[in-house]
Amino acid sequence: MAKPRELRRRIRSIQNTRKITKTMELVSTSKLKRAQDRVVGARPYARALAEVLGDLYAPDLAERFPLLRQPAADGTKRVGLVLITSNRGLCGAFNANLIREARRRMQELEGQGVSIDLHLVGKKGISYFKFTKRAVASQRTDIGDKPTAAHAAELVAPLMAQFQAGTLDAVEVVFAQFKSAVSTPPTTLRILPVTPPRADRRLGGSAVSTGTDALSAQPPNRLSAYYILKPSADAILESLLPLYVRNQMFRALVETAAAEHGARRTAMKNATDSAGDMLDLLRRTYNRARQAVITQELAEIVGGAEALKG
Amino acid sequence: MHVTVISPERTVFDGPADAVVAPAYDGQVGILPRHAPFLTLLGSGMLTVSGGEAGRFRVAGGFLQVVGDEVRVVADRVEIS
Repeated sequence: MAKPRELRRRIRSIQNTRKITKTMELVSTSKLKRAQDRVVGARPYARALAEVLGDLYAPDLAERFPLLRQPAADGTKRVGLVLITSNRGLCGAFNANLIREARRRMQELEGQGVSIDLHLVGKKGISYFKFTKRAVASQRTDIGDKPTAAHAAELVAPLMAQFQAGTLDAVEVVFAQFKSAVSTPPTTLRILPVTPPRADRRLGGSAVSTGTDALSAQPPNRLSAYYILKPSADAILESLLPLYVRNQMFRALVETAAAEHGARRTAMKNATDSAGDMLDLLRRTYNRARQAVITQELAEIVGGAEALKG
Repeated sequence: MHVTVISPERTVFDGPADAVVAPAYDGQVGILPRHAPFLTLLGSGMLTVSGGEAGRFRVAGGFLQVVGDEVRVVADRVEIS
């Protein structure tokens, strides 16, 4: 059995660790709340943009807009892959899961003979790919856990330019989808070429109702037919498409930030709980050891006294 | 009529108003109640919402949409001023 003094030292050390994890849990809980608000706050914009694009889009436009260009028949040759990870650790398997998803996707693409430009956001992804010595097209760590639309714009601009120039055939983002604080599956989203959102939502319940089959049944149902459009449907589509791409990147950043806090809170809660369990066990062992020492000392004293008497 | 001003990050303004003056891509455009359905691109400049809850915003990029009694200003950049 371990010595009481060692046990005492371990108990103290675990108590200190538990204090830290408990505090981190509380901090991430409040940060999660705010990050969640940002995710929710970003929704109206995304929804409005998606509605309008869905209304204006028609399948025959694909050849006219570079951002809608589908990969050529002989397949995609070069894909930009953006991996979003966190800058900090202590959030369980959060980053490991994201990296695994990215590697899975990379293997899949490379299996099809596609070469990949890797763009990394966040220290964790960077240090992993530095470790594997894989060439990286770009990396940045300055985004942190409060991403702004400007960050997303900076990130997406060069990718859009390369896509339009034809050097990239597709752009995908690996990020943590924020379904809830405990469910944040790593997800791959193709942001270029743009997959137009479906036109099945209507603002304010006015005008004409489009069925959910809006994508198959076309022109007469389209909302754009009832609008005064300035300058023209094409021009509007042309300037809103980049905004849509940017917004998808923004959404990925914001959701990943929220997911990170969720993951950290869960990890820290588990750590705090298991520190508590360990403390229980150690305290019990310590008390038993302490009692054993006392009992032994008593036995020795009694034994000694007996011996003197005799 | 009901006006919402939406930036990528959040909804900046949401409330009733009597008039909206917005910088469209080719000059100022004024929206009064019972406007026809309308969709235009925004340029950059000052957006003024008056009557009801008033507000002034510096906006750039995005679009303005009028449907029924709803006006939505969805701008790429919005600053309250």
